Amino acid sequence: MSVPVLQLGELSVAGGETVALLGGNGAGKTTLIETILGFRAGPVTLFGRDVSSLSVEARVRLGVGYVPERRRVFAGLTVRENLEAASFLPAADRRRRVEEMLGLFPMLGERPAARAWLLSGGQQQMLALARALMNRPRLLLLDEPTLGLAPVVVADLLGRLGAMAAAGTAILLAEQRAGLALGVAHRGIVLSRGRIVRVGSARELARDPALADLMAGA
Amino acid sequence: MRALGFFWFAVLLLLPVLALLLLPPFGQRMVILIGIYALMGIGYQLVFGYLGGLNLAQGALFGVGAYAVALMAPALGTLALPLAPVVAALLAATVAVPMLRLQSHYFALSTLALAALIDLVAVHAEGLTGGANGLAGFGGALPGGSLLLVLVWLCVVTATLLQAHLFHSRFGPPARLLREAPLVAATLGIDGGRWRVVAFVAGAALAGLAGAFSATLSGVVSPDVTGFPVMILCLTSVVLGGSRHPMGALLGATLAVCLPELLRDLQGAWLLAYAVATLVVVRWAPEGMASAIDRWRGGTVPVAAVPSVPGPLDPIGGSRRLVLANVSKHFGGVAALSDVSFEIAQGEVVGLVGPNGSGKTTLLNVVSGLERADGGSISLDERRLDRLPAHAIARAGVGRTFQTLALPDDTRGADIVRAVASGAAFLLLDEPAAGATDRERAELAVLIGGLREAGRGVLIVDHDMELLTRVCDRLVCLDRGAVIARGTPGAVRADPRVRASFLGLEGVAA
Amino acid sequence: MAYALVALGFVLALNAAGAVNFAHGDLVVLGGAVAVFAGLWTGLPGPLLLPFVALVLGAVGILAARVAIQPLAGRPPEATFVATIALAAIIEQGLTVGMGAAPRTAPSIAGSGAIDLGGVTLGRQPLAIVVVGIVLIAAVWFLLERTQTGRRMRAVSSDSHMARAVGIPAGRYVMLSLALAGALAGIAGALLGHQFLVAPTQGAGHMLKAYIAVAVGGWGSVPGAVLGALGIGFFETFVAAAIGDAWATAALYVAVLLMLVLRPQGLFGEPVGRRA
Repeated sequence: MSVPVLQLGELSVAGGETVALLGGNGAGKTTLIETILGFRAGPVTLFGRDVSSLSVEARVRLGVGYVPERRRVFAGLTVRENLEAASFLPAADRRRRVEEMLGLFPMLGERPAARAWLLSGGQQQMLALARALMNRPRLLLLDEPTLGLAPVVVADLLGRLGAMAAAGTAILLAEQRAGLALGVAHRGIVLSRGRIVRVGSARELARDPALADLMAGA
Repeated sequence: MRALGFFWFAVLLLLPVLALLLLPPFGQRMVILIGIYALMGIGYQLVFGYLGGLNLAQGALFGVGAYAVALMAPALGTLALPLAPVVAALLAATVAVPMLRLQSHYFALSTLALAALIDLVAVHAEGLTGGANGLAGFGGALPGGSLLLVLVWLCVVTATLLQAHLFHSRFGPPARLLREAPLVAATLGIDGGRWRVVAFVAGAALAGLAGAFSATLSGVVSPDVTGFPVMILCLTSVVLGGSRHPMGALLGATLAVCLPELLRDLQGAWLLAYAVATLVVVRWAPEGMASAIDRWRGGTVPVAAVPSVPGPLDPIGGSRRLVLANVSKHFGGVAALSDVSFEIAQGEVVGLVGPNGSGKTTLLNVVSGLERADGGSISLDERRLDRLPAHAIARAGVGRTFQTLALPDDTRGADIVRAVASGAAFLLLDEPAAGATDRERAELAVLIGGLREAGRGVLIVDHDMELLTRVCDRLVCLDRGAVIARGTPGAVRADPRVRASFLGLEGVAA
Repeated sequence: MAYALVALGFVLALNAAGAVNFAHGDLVVLGGAVAVFAGLWTGLPGPLLLPFVALVLGAVGILAARVAIQPLAGRPPEATFVATIALAAIIEQGLTVGMGAAPRTAPSIAGSGAIDLGGVTLGRQPLAIVVVGIVLIAAVWFLLERTQTGRRMRAVSSDSHMARAVGIPAGRYVMLSLALAGALAGIAGALLGHQFLVAPTQGAGHMLKAYIAVAVGGWGSVPGAVLGALGIGFFETFVAAAIGDAWATAALYVAVLLMLVLRPQGLFGEPVGRRA
């Protein structure tokens, strides 16, 4: 039983584990993630230490990757610049890492010099993910990454998450689309109006007939 | 007078009366000057204080009034005095409409450019304005001394009382909404554009009047009156006094005129002290000195009346159905709404549900006029709404609330009450139950029930399925911009397509 | 060219602090004043004074934002509007008290006189201004486009919340942008101060030109601001040659007003929404 990578109240995520954070709009998923990051106050333990007093930047640099709701790529910067700005490696290593990323994400590798605001939704989502991965995070937080994406892109995204979990990254995936999230997760937690109302293994939750009601906010 | 309070009313009247009776001509001059700056300041408060517009042209309009008098007095005598503000107001009116549609920093720039242009004309159009030397010797027929003091202060008292009455009773709440939540104001039927134009022109008239009196007092005009320092003086004195207090302009003007006398030893440093004081006030006492004095006196600072839950509502006549037909909207290549059709009758409560990104908020925006539909129509009985601006739609009888509270001291439900009070026959409620406690949700259910009883038509967007099941007659479910189900709450909730959309399952046929 | 430096500083501060700093024009004048007095006290030649002016004004730039912009971040825009205008008045009056209202001359950068270049006579000082301007603009361009620091500055300007969420210490980069803005303003003032003298009342004029440049070039666009300033410069030079200085300036203001009415997003900006 390994030490959880993330602990916040009843929520915990261990290395190599993917936890789906489910709930309808307004259920509190984003609030929870903001608390983990440090934009809101809360008792958070990351990588075994209490980070409640650390700033957002400091926590992130401990090894957290964040893919926010609606992408939020740096609009005026190019694809390459978006990746570089997020890296903390010295110049030569940084450039190598960027090339590596561009290779891993062919959609981005095709147009590395494009300004981010010109990219399609799917491309921006991939950019946001690649940006979050630049520093090889041990914990990855994703907030509704499939919103507005074509099914092909969604499949690609979820496949990558699966590969990362297999490689040991802890993943917290917040989603409204429970079916998708539970398909890649080990465990699930359902939020409603800011409170945890259901926990269980992904398989249990996926088969639960009351899940749709919970998701719809009943 | 009630809006002003006895204390300030006394101050307002005593200052000129005492000056007339007790002060030597030099002192009376100062009091006249205070009155002049107060007039300009009150005019400035109209746009800047009450409506929050970043106006930098007030000083130049003051100068326009001064030059107008200087140019007209030789021919028209005292008639020049009332005409000068008309000139300033006309100038403001010609530029007002296009300028006032601009967003804040562009508006500020346009007023700055206008002011610079006026100043430039004053300095260089030598044939008209006498150039850098200005004009003199026009004051023959104009009043002076005590008569001028009486004239100026009659205007000041009238303007102060009028302003206090208008903005601290009738116009106060809508002005505040316009300033702090312009979108909400539009959905309550407040035509922001018209308000701003009227305020700007009225403010210009007051500035012109002040400038006219100033020229009368000094007997000369020069480009000093159109320069930027006048604007800075106006701005700083209004802020120091209190930009939203009826006596703010007067208080600030008093300080502006008396301070140079008090700090005479320090030469030009009084303006420095003044600017520092302004900065301090903005940081730590933004309501200004007049409100600080009110607090010190122990009076309560008047807060905008927060509407309480309404009692039984009167039934409403008028329109009977709100009809959406084939409404579509695109953002780039993405269809936010496709072919949405349904209707709401009076006395009906319809719930609009759907996962994130399904287009619910877009639909509300389109119906309330904050966004334009690309296709289809929206009608209230026979009358088409889809091409009207938001405030006109509100006036036609469609009210709307937003997810976040409009004003900082609103209680939950205040926005619904405001929308009802604006006379809406149909109400669009945007997530009224978001973050509500169980008790608040119960109160909301009662409120909505009351609306139905009183014959209002209600469209509620929310995620709280349980609440919607309780209060709605029908549900409409959106997914990716299209209607995928409609019917009673029970039927819609059981509909497999609806369940699938909430779970995000792929491959389920629409 | 010096106006381009002013506009560049203005837009950098605008992007970093998220607000218009009405005191920016007075920072320019302050730069000139620092050059005047530093020159008098130390006797250093013009070119050596520039780094000193840059440092001082960089610090002032940060201070100005700390005093008048950042504490008012949560308040409606009138608050920063008034605060920065008050700050501008403070600087202007402070300068008036400190150096008197009479204009002073800043030390020249390249000596007076002229150079002959292939038959064309060019003043040494104006030429030096152009050279320094080009060098600085190129340096800033290099900083922003080709260095990690510049990239991070731009990321912070674009979305400071997200920048922090990828580990970038946003506060530090905002300060850096503001210091750079101040330094550019100061250098511009020192450069202009020889030919155009240094007088406390010049602040408003510089501010207006920078504001126009940024609005013309597209609000928030860095290249737009520089091009806008250069455009203003050319407009003034050529129109002034035809109808005289004063009317050229008037024409500029009228053109700006027309532009705001017809195409408020400027030449390079994205279409802006109208108010409700």
